[in-house]
Amino acid sequence: MTSGSVMRIAVGFYILLFFSYLFGPLLVMAFTAFNSSEFPSISPWNCFTDEWFEVLVKDNQLMGGLKSSLVVGFGVVLLAVPIGLAASLLITQLRSRARSVVYTIAISPILVPGVVLGISTLVFWERVDRVVLGAQDGFFYDGYFMTIIGQSTFIAAYSMLVFLARLQRFDPGLEEAALDLGATQTQVFRKILLPFLKPAIGSAAVLAFLASFENYNTTVFTIVSESTLTTVLASKVRYGINPSISSLAVIIIALTLIAAVVHEFLKRKEERQATAEALITNPAVIKASRSRRPWGLPIGALTAVLFVGVLGSLWMGRNYDVDECKVRVTEENRVKFEALKQQRLAEAKAKQLSSSQGQDSAVDSKQSSGQYQNIFAPSNLGQQIESDSGAEPQSETEAKDAKQYQNIFAPTNLGQQVESPSDSD
Amino acid sequence: MRNWLRTFLARNGIGLSVYLLGAVALWVIVMIILPQLFMLDFSFRNNWQQIDPSRMGGPDDVYTMVNYHFLAFGSPNNPDPFNVVDVTVFFRTIVAAICVTLFDLALCYPIAYYLAQVARGGKARLLVLALIIPFWVNELLRAFAFRILFGEEGTINAILMGIGILSDPIDFVREDVALYAGLGYAYILLMIFPIYNVIESLDKNQIEAARDLGSSWWRIHRRVVIPFAKPGITSGCTMVFMLSAGALAAPQILGGPSSLWFTQIIYQWFNTGSNWPRGSAYAIVLMLTCVLLVLILMKLFKVKIGEIGR
Repeated sequence: MTSGSVMRIAVGFYILLFFSYLFGPLLVMAFTAFNSSEFPSISPWNCFTDEWFEVLVKDNQLMGGLKSSLVVGFGVVLLAVPIGLAASLLITQLRSRARSVVYTIAISPILVPGVVLGISTLVFWERVDRVVLGAQDGFFYDGYFMTIIGQSTFIAAYSMLVFLARLQRFDPGLEEAALDLGATQTQVFRKILLPFLKPAIGSAAVLAFLASFENYNTTVFTIVSESTLTTVLASKVRYGINPSISSLAVIIIALTLIAAVVHEFLKRKEERQATAEALITNPAVIKASRSRRPWGLPIGALTAVLFVGVLGSLWMGRNYDVDECKVRVTEENRVKFEALKQQRLAEAKAKQLSSSQGQDSAVDSKQSSGQYQNIFAPSNLGQQIESDSGAEPQSETEAKDAKQYQNIFAPTNLGQQVESPSDSD
Repeated sequence: MRNWLRTFLARNGIGLSVYLLGAVALWVIVMIILPQLFMLDFSFRNNWQQIDPSRMGGPDDVYTMVNYHFLAFGSPNNPDPFNVVDVTVFFRTIVAAICVTLFDLALCYPIAYYLAQVARGGKARLLVLALIIPFWVNELLRAFAFRILFGEEGTINAILMGIGILSDPIDFVREDVALYAGLGYAYILLMIFPIYNVIESLDKNQIEAARDLGSSWWRIHRRVVIPFAKPGITSGCTMVFMLSAGALAAPQILGGPSSLWFTQIIYQWFNTGSNWPRGSAYAIVLMLTCVLLVLILMKLFKVKIGEIGR
């Protein structure tokens, strides 16, 4: 093996590792959405279910948050994109020194922590409300208003960067030509500059909406008594979670994938058109277009596999009943636990007996109760079941599930049960 | 200035001029500068609004250092020489944010280099697309995913215990492993893209020339690629450091019960603590520290602020 191929393998391995860090957590989260376990996890796989999507849709808090997130998102697009456009146009017309000053101030909101932006917006508008309107909880001290303003502060900077990137490719000759031909300033702006910037306006709007939609740090301060999707999500994730949040993630990931595929498709189409046009003038371009070909195949194959997979699982699932499966799993767990309990009781009894046969009862009982605590520690229980039922493929699942019964068979409980018969001895 | 205004008006016409100047003035003055000034002002005030609203604006409403004093020394009857909890959390936040930044840099530099110089055509584009996709998913959901992975009954513990490496689950959340992994994950993209953009503009011939002259790959990176990529590296580090020091969602979701992030303390002053002036003071300290560190970084690497974000 040459050092070159070793290097190549190492690089490939690194990339593989990197992308599994990137996608692993999302994949695991996506899988938890389909597990019937109350807690989002994949390791004790109970039953395949889609009930969490139903739970999600019926969650009024989340749906209310979603609505206000949409409202705020549109508000931010309407405010931040025009500001970003104006700032980019102004900056291109400034001379070097003023330009760098304005540019520095304009991108500073990106560098300031979102928390600080939220706080300053809240403090400022609360004061304006108090001083100008003389009232508390007036117009300016409104969750939606302050959130739109606070988010736009830095999102306008994003859209400015998008416009600046596009303006770098603008040919000022076009503008001059139009002016020479007698167009007014407004006409030049409307007929030349705006059409040129149209794609940038589109992407700035999308970017602004997405940035607003997923913002948390600023929103959590400015939203006051209202709530957006992110603030609802945050409180849900912090206090008590169930897999319906994973199902939300599945929806978002699916939308993202679709958007990415559509984007890639449109881009390819555009390029194909460009090459087709170029072909007419220069046949040598064929080579370039062919070199891109091999990647169309894997993508197509992947899509096909996904499609077949979805269809297949639908077909397989048509006779599948979630409730039946759940009942079965619960029953299995119960049986397992009955057996386990009997076994544990017997073992404990035997131990208790042997220890009570010992002479120094005071010390011994103390020690043995310590041992019991270890025996009945949840993790130990899990392992024990695993080894007991190693023959069954699902053993791990049930062992984990067994933890749900933790409280019933808490060590102290069992200890008491064991002790009481030995007391009567 | 007047001259400039005249040419500006002549070039853009009245309507457009008003729009351009008005929108930028609204943004820069009302949305950026004034709120920051008011927050600064607020941080030097007593919390009369909560204690006794009637004294607001009265003779007692004077500037005071009480909030900054509290951050440094705690309440008057604090037995310790300084405010142990808050100061410790502050320094831990800064150090941890620096560690997260270095981790991301080490992780992302090879990928950025690979994407920019080694991978070609469709493959490079596919990888870039794959990079972007996870970052369309909400920050909170990403943190949630790490909680599923790292929880005491989470996937990683289940796997490790299943293989038999562990007999008892490790509490990754309490050990803050989950938090650092989640923070590092959250800002990968912001590290990769600035570096990628710069390295992509590096002429391949330079690398080949160095290789032909017998440089080892390590030397090529140290003497050719990294010096060239410095603006991108600085830019990426700045963004990642700022965002992780100012992160709120990930620490709230992934932070251990006993370890706080500095932003969480600020959040507490605003929410449960109901002491906005003190929260503002803490926020100012956080912001100034971050900005100072970033300026030092830029000075060290001789990068101007105008080069950031491009």
